[in-house]
Amino acid sequence: MTSAPTRPASAASRRRSRPSGGFARQNARTVGWALIPGGLIVLVFFAVPIVALVQLSLSTWSGVGPMTFIGLGNFITALTSDAFYQAILHSIVLAVLGAGGTVVVAAVLAALVSGRIKGAALYRVLWFLPAIAPAAAVSVFWALSVQPRTGLVNQFLGAIGLGSLHAWLSDPNTAIYVIAFVIVWHGVGFAFLLLLGAMEEIPVSVHEAAALDGAGSMSRFFRITLPLIRPVLAIVTLLNVIWAFNGFTFVWAITRGGPGNATEVLPTLIYKQAFVFGDFGPAAAMAIIGGGILLILGLLTLRGQKTVGD
Amino acid sequence: MSKTHRAGLPAAIAGHTWAIIWTLLAVLPFIFIILLAFKPTSVIYSNPLGLVGVDWKPQNFVDAWNGPPGGGGFAFYLINTIIVAVISIGLSLVIGSFTAYFLSLASLRVRRIAIAILLVTTVTPVVLLLISYYQAFNFLGLLSNPVALAIIYVALVLPNTVLILQSFYLGFPAELREAAALDGLGPLRTFWTVVTPLSRGPLVAVAMLNGFNIWGETQVAIVMLVSAQSRTVPIGLLAFQGEFQSNTGAIFAGLTIATIPVLIVYLIFNRQVTKGIALGGVFR
Repeated sequence: MTSAPTRPASAASRRRSRPSGGFARQNARTVGWALIPGGLIVLVFFAVPIVALVQLSLSTWSGVGPMTFIGLGNFITALTSDAFYQAILHSIVLAVLGAGGTVVVAAVLAALVSGRIKGAALYRVLWFLPAIAPAAAVSVFWALSVQPRTGLVNQFLGAIGLGSLHAWLSDPNTAIYVIAFVIVWHGVGFAFLLLLGAMEEIPVSVHEAAALDGAGSMSRFFRITLPLIRPVLAIVTLLNVIWAFNGFTFVWAITRGGPGNATEVLPTLIYKQAFVFGDFGPAAAMAIIGGGILLILGLLTLRGQKTVGD
Repeated sequence: MSKTHRAGLPAAIAGHTWAIIWTLLAVLPFIFIILLAFKPTSVIYSNPLGLVGVDWKPQNFVDAWNGPPGGGGFAFYLINTIIVAVISIGLSLVIGSFTAYFLSLASLRVRRIAIAILLVTTVTPVVLLLISYYQAFNFLGLLSNPVALAIIYVALVLPNTVLILQSFYLGFPAELREAAALDGLGPLRTFWTVVTPLSRGPLVAVAMLNGFNIWGETQVAIVMLVSAQSRTVPIGLLAFQGEFQSNTGAIFAGLTIATIPVLIVYLIFNRQVTKGIALGGVFR
């Protein structure tokens, strides 16, 4: 994440890369052989599946029997179906709310800890707890908690006079916000750690100078901290957008895409299309379109990381 | 330290309020999960937070362990997850450290190309791979087979494993390697007998990261594990939602089994875990 792998070679490795004599030649040969197993795994589990997916997207297949080639029909099916656009829209909503909420909360929390708030050492440990728990489990917990009348959240809302009867998950207008909340709740810990790492690299003298000039903690946060960590902030945001866009588990565990298709996102739509309805061709086409967008976003993130590393 | 003093009282109060609210939000759910796991369903609904005079029901754990009639249950889920985790953590560590070490010895050009390929695989969405995995494993008769799922996990965590360990091995003192070569050790022997014992720290950090990711993985598992008795822990929990609708206590017992062990491991090893995560270990 801190882009250590993309950094240019150090002096030591440059010396290593231009070795001399028979030892080096033997060494180069060993290296060549040693990289074969890893290379084969990448080929078999990443390259081949994508080629196979392209082939499937141009065919019809029900899960059993042979595939039939039909050309671009599946892409036309995908691109003319309302469900597909609905899913993309919901994915964008979750990406904006989930990633936005995560980064905002994490930035505030990281600023508190890097400002050495009392209890910082404990907070640093505790705030990561939600991130380490399995997404499926915490999603099930929050889904149970927002049940009308019986759920913990609704009982709490009732106790403070806001009413305990709202069925958050069966109301198409509110279900997606519950999912966005859980994404933020689960995502903050990781974003917090990365942003904290960036904030701790800001020299203390910068803050002290600003404080001497009379800048309050708020204005230092907006005028010094945020601008100085902007590259890391951008990467963390982009990563969270990708994860939220990609997120199957939260949606599946909390609403299964419902009520109706009010929270259907691309991964759940593709899952249903292929593995529930046995309609693999259109599912493959949707995966290629949606996955392609994500891959481009991911490559952009990598470019950003590389610039930070250099 | 002077910073907080200079911050001004209202800002300091706001800061502490934020910190406390988020701490409660982060920690309370896990306390509720444990608490409710010991209560009968009717009490979960009528008196979820009460601690006195409650009719405790540890039987919930037995229900979760045995599962619904004809279903899976944690007796299967835990064993499957342990099989999957042991195989995939072990294999990814062996193959990953081996690949990473020899990659760190490769020429700059080879290394650049390999790293570029690995980075692209780390941002490849699972959705692009999943249907093909299903097709292949269906064809090979390997659906509902936790060992086969473990092999997929090895491949999925391998790029990150190699990237993290590679950057560690780049800093490995060349003198040690040269001394081993002078002693007549070949590159392979040097790797196993000299390098590996000295890289225990990063290996443990990577193993733990991979472990957390594998323990919670849902999207691939839900497709590959069709039969109830082949489910892993997270997939089993999702199935519980439908199967245990009238036994919420059993669901909370399941949530306890699924979350508390990883939280304890994290609390014990939190330094290594956060260091490893800063190095770059997350699932998509």
